[in-house]
Amino acid sequence: MSATRGRPSGSAAMVTVAVLAAVGALLFIGLRGDPPPQTRGQLAHQIASGLRCPVCQDLSAADSPAPIARQMRVQIDEKLAKGETAAEIRDGFIAAYGNSVLMTPPRHGLASVAYGFPLGALGLAGLVAALLLRRSLRRPMSDETELIRTEGR
Amino acid sequence: MHQLGQVGLLLGLVLSAYGMTAAAVGARTRRPGLVESARLTAFAVLALMITVNGAMLVGLLTNDFSLRYVAGNSSTGTPTFFKVLSLWAADDGSLLLWNLILGGYLAAVAIRFRRDRPLTYPYALSVLFGVQLFYLILINGPARPFALLANPPLDGRGPSPLLQNHPLMAVHPPFLYLGFIGFTVPFAFGIAALLVGRSSDDWVSLIRRWTLVVWCFLTVGLVLGALWSYSVLGWGGYWAWDPVENVALLPWLVATAFLHSVMLQERRGMARMWNLVLVIGAFALMTFGTFLTRGSVLSSIHTFAESGVGPAYLAFLTLVLLGGFGLVAWRSSSLREPARLESVFSREAAIIGNNALLLSATAIILLGTVFPLVVEAWTGDQITVGAPYFKKAVAPVFLLLFVLVGTAPLLPWRATNRQRALRRLRYPTVAAALVAVGAAAAGVRQLETVAGLALATLVLVTNAQEITTGLVRGRRGGRRGALLRGRRRFSGLAVHVGLAIFAFGIIASSSFAQQTEVTLSSGQSAELDGYRLRYDGLTTDEQPQRTVLTSTVTVTSPGGEPHGVMRPALNLYPAASEPIGSPAIQRGVVWDLYASVIGLQDNGASATFRFYRNPGVNWLWLGGLVMALGGVSAAWPRRARPRRGRQPVSEREPQPEPESEPGTDLVDLGVS
Amino acid sequence: MSTAQRRLFLLAGVTALVLALAGFLATGVGKDHSIVASPLVGKQAPDFHLQGLDGSAASAVGLSDLRGQVVVLNFWASWCTECRIEQAVLDQTWQRFRDSGVVVLGVNFQDAPGDALDYVAAAGSTYPVVADTDSTTALAYGLRGVPETFVIDQAGQIVERMIGPVNAERLSSRISTLLAGGSR
Repeated sequence: MSATRGRPSGSAAMVTVAVLAAVGALLFIGLRGDPPPQTRGQLAHQIASGLRCPVCQDLSAADSPAPIARQMRVQIDEKLAKGETAAEIRDGFIAAYGNSVLMTPPRHGLASVAYGFPLGALGLAGLVAALLLRRSLRRPMSDETELIRTEGR
Repeated sequence: MHQLGQVGLLLGLVLSAYGMTAAAVGARTRRPGLVESARLTAFAVLALMITVNGAMLVGLLTNDFSLRYVAGNSSTGTPTFFKVLSLWAADDGSLLLWNLILGGYLAAVAIRFRRDRPLTYPYALSVLFGVQLFYLILINGPARPFALLANPPLDGRGPSPLLQNHPLMAVHPPFLYLGFIGFTVPFAFGIAALLVGRSSDDWVSLIRRWTLVVWCFLTVGLVLGALWSYSVLGWGGYWAWDPVENVALLPWLVATAFLHSVMLQERRGMARMWNLVLVIGAFALMTFGTFLTRGSVLSSIHTFAESGVGPAYLAFLTLVLLGGFGLVAWRSSSLREPARLESVFSREAAIIGNNALLLSATAIILLGTVFPLVVEAWTGDQITVGAPYFKKAVAPVFLLLFVLVGTAPLLPWRATNRQRALRRLRYPTVAAALVAVGAAAAGVRQLETVAGLALATLVLVTNAQEITTGLVRGRRGGRRGALLRGRRRFSGLAVHVGLAIFAFGIIASSSFAQQTEVTLSSGQSAELDGYRLRYDGLTTDEQPQRTVLTSTVTVTSPGGEPHGVMRPALNLYPAASEPIGSPAIQRGVVWDLYASVIGLQDNGASATFRFYRNPGVNWLWLGGLVMALGGVSAAWPRRARPRRGRQPVSEREPQPEPESEPGTDLVDLGVS
Repeated sequence: MSTAQRRLFLLAGVTALVLALAGFLATGVGKDHSIVASPLVGKQAPDFHLQGLDGSAASAVGLSDLRGQVVVLNFWASWCTECRIEQAVLDQTWQRFRDSGVVVLGVNFQDAPGDALDYVAAAGSTYPVVADTDSTTALAYGLRGVPETFVIDQAGQIVERMIGPVNAERLSSRISTLLAGGSR
């Protein structure tokens, strides 16, 4: 393995280039322009995925095979054809069923707190981990009581 | 059967109470005789549970409708196979299975410790009996499967249609239960360790192996659940982020975190309190999950109807939480151990990161699942937290986790030689970059998809590379020797490989699936991705317990060749208000062709279908299998090896070389 | 803080958290989660115009035609076992109140016309029944299953929604209040 020792920066360069290329690809995708306009069918499917099938357990109107979900899909398509916007269609269903017909919590009011959970949880965990790391990195070297232990049973 | 069942359950309750007290008292007062009697009681309890389950089975098979459970869950028309499965189809019956499996674990612990007697053992036994006692109180109290009906009907109602549609019902619940209930054992030993109060670490390796086995069962149980959902429910998906599915996932995540942080304790003496918290947490989450599923707190496909057990579960959960975390708080000072890290680029730091991410995911999923309850309690408004929320919320966490899974196996303990690590990272990062660039060039538009594909590639290549270089380098004893010596590490790497395959499956099926919904009259065709699907009529099959309407769909591949016939069906059960669909699936290495019939018109003259082309679904099952096998391999008991000192020269471990593998180091000496 | 004090502090903290959690979960236990709040109560009932079970225009009924009367709108289906439980109550209500300005109107939901007609004939019910063939009306009323019954006052406002088989006393008391010109 000493043959490779003569080129210490080779690996670093390769890895750096690879990481940059990957990040570049992601940036390219992220900063790309608007996606091509959706067809009416695609938009209908998207709206239906955001609505809950009222007779099912946790399936969206787009996924559910139930007849009432099928009817919702038909109705969404018809309403789009009539020129209603996605928001109007959603509001129509909320008027009949209440907020629980949305597959995700509404974006206003107490329920919208849910959208803060992911960042909050990650942030908290990250903070605790960082503090822990910092504290244990700073600790002075104790005498070697931290022997590597053999496996037990 | 009724008598046998009731008496058996009552006797089991009494014996469990005895076992719990005898083990605890015997330990406190140092009377090994008492403890031994408790140990033997475990076998008696198991025997009773087997008898009681047998009694219910006999009742089901002989159509004894005087038993309320049999009348409610079986019928003369139910096929024998599904009669057997009805044992766990509904609440009270599945409690019988629960008690049986718990009794089995109790007996397993009793057998395992027939000779060695660590200090923690009697207390652990006592806790196990305690948990068994609770479930026996439930089954003797609010939930009584052997209750009699005053006027037995002539025929039973039959099992719920969804539960008798597919043979997978035979394996999904048992594996899930084996996984769930198994968390009782590590929990019992964790509590015992806290009670004993010594700062010794001998409980860790004990708990580690049990947790690993339980983790394997739970992995299989969860994957089978997804398989069932895909093959049976007919909506083309495999995971709906249903509250009950979510709570089954939570203990799995915590157990995974534990299996990693346990290494910190074994090798560096760190994280003792944390490991106990994790073990108690896993059991608490499992109990909470059971409460949510059976206590009629939410509604779901899995929920069993209101049966008065809710308050009992809540009381038990409170006891578990108070007892477990209270003990941790009580012993917190003696558990504190100064942890020391040398470098942030070390295995230790990576494990801390792993735990942080897994616990974040657990918290997010838990909060999302109970949030509708919170909102309803606070404002009275009802909301849904469904799949779109969870998918978006946990995706970044798992992506970050994959960064770790793809790099941490390269990091040694304590500190890294940066050059060596970078050298090992060459191929994985290049492969990931190629995938990322390739996907972007191919026109994939979703960021998570490309990031996911790239990271899954990273994980796959890193872990596969480590396996192969480890094998190649194992000079002493040949390849087989290296494999045996580093088995724990190789098993872990294999699990990561399985995880990568699984991840590819998820990403592919979520991002690239195609579907269409169409109503076809007989003879008409639909088109999906080049495939032509022609509806060729309906056949009716009258069976004793249901009517099956099978449609025939002839498939033609894009090239024009015949591609088989699919027969999605609608099953009409008398007990169900709507027909239950059975999808037809043509499985392939990459693509699945999936058909489900969701409506019939004019007696089958026309039918409404949903056709899907799903990529990568079969990688889910493969990945899950590899993960489970990796876990089994890691847990497999070692052959006893001669102790150090008198070893023949050829077996002696080499001195650590400068280029030694991080991980296949001194620890894997194989001392069992 | 000494070890003992710290211990107690931690223990107190754990106990408080656990009991709070238990208390919160206790509020969810035992609630009937099939009862879903309806946003339509208190609002104008969505209008519809549906054909009768036999499909003829003569038997069609529109909600606006019934303005000025109390309407008991009942969604049902022939495959719905619970609907049979309430059938007698609905028939009795019709017989009792039909001359007082009350209409019982059945709306058939997701059913084959033949099955629906057979059911009505077998039950011998005499109140008007229409078919919501494409489920548009069901969706407009926020239907989650059958049976569900809506009580609509003379001005066309929904005053009550009942999920599951109707309760006879509740229904008749509600109707009597409305007929007496009372508020909801």
